[in-house]
Amino acid sequence: MACRPLVSVYSEKGEATGTSVKMPAVFQAPIRPDIVGSVHMDMMKNGRQPYAVSAKAGHQTSAESWGTGRAVARIPRVSGGGTNRSGQGAFGNMCRHGRMFAPTKTWRRWHRRINVNQRRYAICSAIAATGIPALVMAKGHCIEEVPEIPLVLTDKVQTLTKTKEAVGVLRKLKLWREIEKVKSTRRFRAGKGKMRNRRRIQRRGPVVIYNQDNGICRAFRNIPGVTLINVDRLNLLKIAPGGHVGRLCIWTESAFKKLDSIYGTWKKASEQKTDYNLPMPKMTNCDLSRLLRSDEIQKALRPPKKQVTRRVLKRNPLKNLSVLAKLNPYAVVEKKLAKLVEKQQKKKRQELQDAKRGIKYGFKHGYYQLVGVEDVGLATVDAAASGGKSRPRKPVTKAPPAKEKKEKKEKKEKK
Amino acid sequence: MQVDDVNWSIINGSFCAYKVMTKKRRLCTNEYNLTGICNRKSCPLANSNYATVREENGVCYLYIKTIERAAFPAKLWEKIKLSQNYEKALEQISNELIYWPSYYIHKCKQRLTVMTQILIRTRRLRLKRQKKLVSTKRKVDRREARREAKALVAARLDVAIENELLERLKQGVYGEIYNFPQHVFNKAAEELEVSDNSDAEIDEEEEDESGKQSERQFIEDFEESDEDDIEELQRPIEEAENEMEDSEEEEKEKTKARRHHVSVEYEEDDLIPCKKKSLIKLF
Repeated sequence: MACRPLVSVYSEKGEATGTSVKMPAVFQAPIRPDIVGSVHMDMMKNGRQPYAVSAKAGHQTSAESWGTGRAVARIPRVSGGGTNRSGQGAFGNMCRHGRMFAPTKTWRRWHRRINVNQRRYAICSAIAATGIPALVMAKGHCIEEVPEIPLVLTDKVQTLTKTKEAVGVLRKLKLWREIEKVKSTRRFRAGKGKMRNRRRIQRRGPVVIYNQDNGICRAFRNIPGVTLINVDRLNLLKIAPGGHVGRLCIWTESAFKKLDSIYGTWKKASEQKTDYNLPMPKMTNCDLSRLLRSDEIQKALRPPKKQVTRRVLKRNPLKNLSVLAKLNPYAVVEKKLAKLVEKQQKKKRQELQDAKRGIKYGFKHGYYQLVGVEDVGLATVDAAASGGKSRPRKPVTKAPPAKEKKEKKEKKEKK
Repeated sequence: MQVDDVNWSIINGSFCAYKVMTKKRRLCTNEYNLTGICNRKSCPLANSNYATVREENGVCYLYIKTIERAAFPAKLWEKIKLSQNYEKALEQISNELIYWPSYYIHKCKQRLTVMTQILIRTRRLRLKRQKKLVSTKRKVDRREARREAKALVAARLDVAIENELLERLKQGVYGEIYNFPQHVFNKAAEELEVSDNSDAEIDEEEEDESGKQSERQFIEDFEESDEDDIEELQRPIEEAENEMEDSEEEEKEKTKARRHHVSVEYEEDDLIPCKKKSLIKLF
């Protein structure tokens, strides 16, 4: 994992001293907001005090049900007489002065145990997130003018005793805007917490993480929003308040240096925790977009399909000749042949009929017509010969009667 | 170590202080945001290489951030002053963001265009007179209105006015004013009118008014009167006293006679109108 190797150390006047510290490996731990969130939630539960309703509540009566037949509901009613209370319903959650549904018990499971490794994972993630300015800004801290993130100060800060000096340090580091923001968010809590000793609330400011308290606690503790922790006792509830990663952290030099020995580097196990090393990330390179663009992956891909195949409407080949032709090219030929055959057969049939009826056709002027008929393209039909049923194929004009007689004579002669 | 995708998944999924949710879309209140929308591409926190155009005192600047400076928030943004000339500014953007993804170049230019339009408009508006909108605070208004009402009640204006008027009356600011009951005043005024009219009507009037007069007896009360009028009043005083002494039987005639006897004096310099003066004499 590529990472900045060194972090500059700043003096309490806000100037960069020449020295720089090696970046602890914790800051490269995988950031898992899900783990941080769930561990934070469980850790918060551990600070609770039990609450419960009195065990006897609602049961301090000798109430008995009157049973059926008294034109009243069957819930137990208070025995005795001489008071308003007698005969009133008791014991049920629906009754006035009855016990509640599922009375809260002190033996509710208030605390949660969290696996040690999970706890450590969460803290490593949280610390790593404090090293990313984007996440610190997203949390809402005003770090636009801070010289560097992670912010490391010389150990001289640990010896500060006066709050005034501490304020001066924060001002020089351009962190005063952050403190002012905390002050501006001071308000009363909404809800009953007001009367339960949780009256006032305000934003969280920066966390100052020190190695040795030589006065630093007393100097910084009265500044609104500032929290102080010792490196050896880092608390997830302070590093990731609200279960969200990215709180603004101010480290002292020795505290910063200690992180490697507390959490280990991947190469070297932790010295202070037994058998512990930093969590292994699921991906060594998390930059997904970069990965996808890399040569190794792009080479293995087939070229992109730019052609869009759309759903084609299926047409019926039995009805649609062109579709049929695509499937069976010979079908066109078949059809043509069939048509031709049909035509020929028709012609034959017609000729037979005409022969029966006594109509002769000769091919003249490019088409068949009655032989001997002077009119162009017209067939005369012998109405009598055909027995009254005429089959005109073309517009019919009546032949002169003389010819009909002639034909009749001819036919008679034949017979 | 900063990875944009990881940052975006955290910012988007978990919490971002700059995110504002509206019904239709998510907006980003970060001042460096190019479009104002909460987006993978527009998020200034989730993109290590980012460019924006921002305006300061009427001058547009191009801000560029690169991953090399990501760890130093104080030096993160490179601020390049853009030319006041619009075309030149566009060229500048193209030159500075050369080889950058076209998204940033395009959006920066768009933003510049909008900003220049806004600046032109503001300049034009400055030349005109502009109404300044001052917000009213509802709570304050309500509180002040209530206090006004209370103050009004506490001031007890009518009492103060009354006292002031009485003071003035005592001091003599109003000259001669007498507090007669209204109905008496009216009756007397009517009688005066009658007496001033023709004598022919007197008999009839006498009959009418005698009845009225017999019901009333006027008693002298000169405590509030001025010293100036005492001389004038002496005659009516005597006459009033005479009235009291006479029996009721002779009242009618005597009152009539007295009316005739009474001499009406008109003074010019008086503040009080004439009728009142004569009224005084009656009483």
